[in-house]
Amino acid sequence: MPRVTVTVRDATSKTATASVAYTVLPPVLGGYYLSGGADPTADMAGGNFRSLTQYRSFADAHIFPGYQRQWLVTLGRSGVQINMVLELKHYGASDTGPQTFTVDGVKYTVPAPAMTIQQRPGAVWPKAYGYGQVLAGQCDGLFARALSQYRTMGFGVNIQLASELDTDHEFGTTEAGKAYTWAESDARAVQAMTYIVNWFRAKGLPQGTTFSVGLGGFDRACFRRTHPEALMSRLDYLQWNVYATSAGHTALERFRRTKDWAVADLGPVALSRPVLIAEWGVRVVEIPDQAAWIATVPAAIARLNAERGPFIARTNYFNSGWGTLSPKAAGLAALRAAYARPPYG
Amino acid sequence: MAAPTVNVSMNPTTYSPGEQMLLTVNYGDPDNQRLTLTITVADAQGNRSAPVSVTAVIDPLTLTVTDDSGRTWSRVSDSGSVAVYRAVA
Repeated sequence: MPRVTVTVRDATSKTATASVAYTVLPPVLGGYYLSGGADPTADMAGGNFRSLTQYRSFADAHIFPGYQRQWLVTLGRSGVQINMVLELKHYGASDTGPQTFTVDGVKYTVPAPAMTIQQRPGAVWPKAYGYGQVLAGQCDGLFARALSQYRTMGFGVNIQLASELDTDHEFGTTEAGKAYTWAESDARAVQAMTYIVNWFRAKGLPQGTTFSVGLGGFDRACFRRTHPEALMSRLDYLQWNVYATSAGHTALERFRRTKDWAVADLGPVALSRPVLIAEWGVRVVEIPDQAAWIATVPAAIARLNAERGPFIARTNYFNSGWGTLSPKAAGLAALRAAYARPPYG
Repeated sequence: MAAPTVNVSMNPTTYSPGEQMLLTVNYGDPDNQRLTLTITVADAQGNRSAPVSVTAVIDPLTLTVTDDSGRTWSRVSDSGSVAVYRAVA
């Protein structure tokens, strides 16, 4: 903690001294995600983009760096901090059967995913490997495959387990024919996430490897249920996503909503962890001037970080879905300008 | 001679890198006085020069600001009892 000292000296060299300590926070890392997991290199070039979110399914045979995504290795080796969201969710509807594959000479057979999530009425419910399957050790091959590929990357990443548990569980889940409520699903997920983190931590991991669990952060009770201290002691970051979807939404209130719940509800271990905003975005339908909204983000983050509670360390703009920048050039210019200012150093 | 007094404050005390920081210094010394001497010269005939004034400081005070992080603090203002310094976080 730096300290500034003032000495007052009079004509006879009598002195008086006083000092005050202050804190300079580390710079917040401005980050990005480009729709479809596409190569963001061109969008990030020349700007102060130091963080990136990526999404992969454990069901995919190509997780690190991903199919035809050699650019991720280039970005990671150039110092961009990578947040890899690894999901039990199965992305492909067509091929959801069991898998047999060999990892480093060991043959694994993983059964078909047995859970459905995001059970929104009227929607097709995505399949996912079940929390029961994880706890039974049936998914260990998936983790071994991911780890083997990860070790070839040459740098450490944050592994974010699940994208948004609240979105996954909001309408309950079903595994092997048994239905679970939202709260039951949260409890089962905590067990499964603990299992996965412990599985990885027991192995040799690249230096700089960190872990977090993914939440949209839109439901206070779910956020509390999914952040018990026992799990947080194994994780390195808190995480939630931030979207402006109403003309009245301000950056300060949107970024602080989940933080305030965390400060009120979570324990000291959880609150000792910095925050990784894996996604933030401004929905153009309600907020046509995305650039103006983006311009208010640095001051909002600086203010939140000056308050008590967990430090917001990375904010990755989600240029996709709700956050799609339109027009893209103006939005990117606003992001570059924002990330050039404090607290982004 | 009395000893000087000083106290310093910053508000807030937590900053993001690149932000401006302000330091307020309240200081004084009971002996410290600022005097103005006004001098007029008169000859034997009673002719008087125009008055000239000079200022004298009794027991002048000097302020030294150091920062163990190596940051440079520059003076923004100084009233003689309250000084404000600025640095970049």
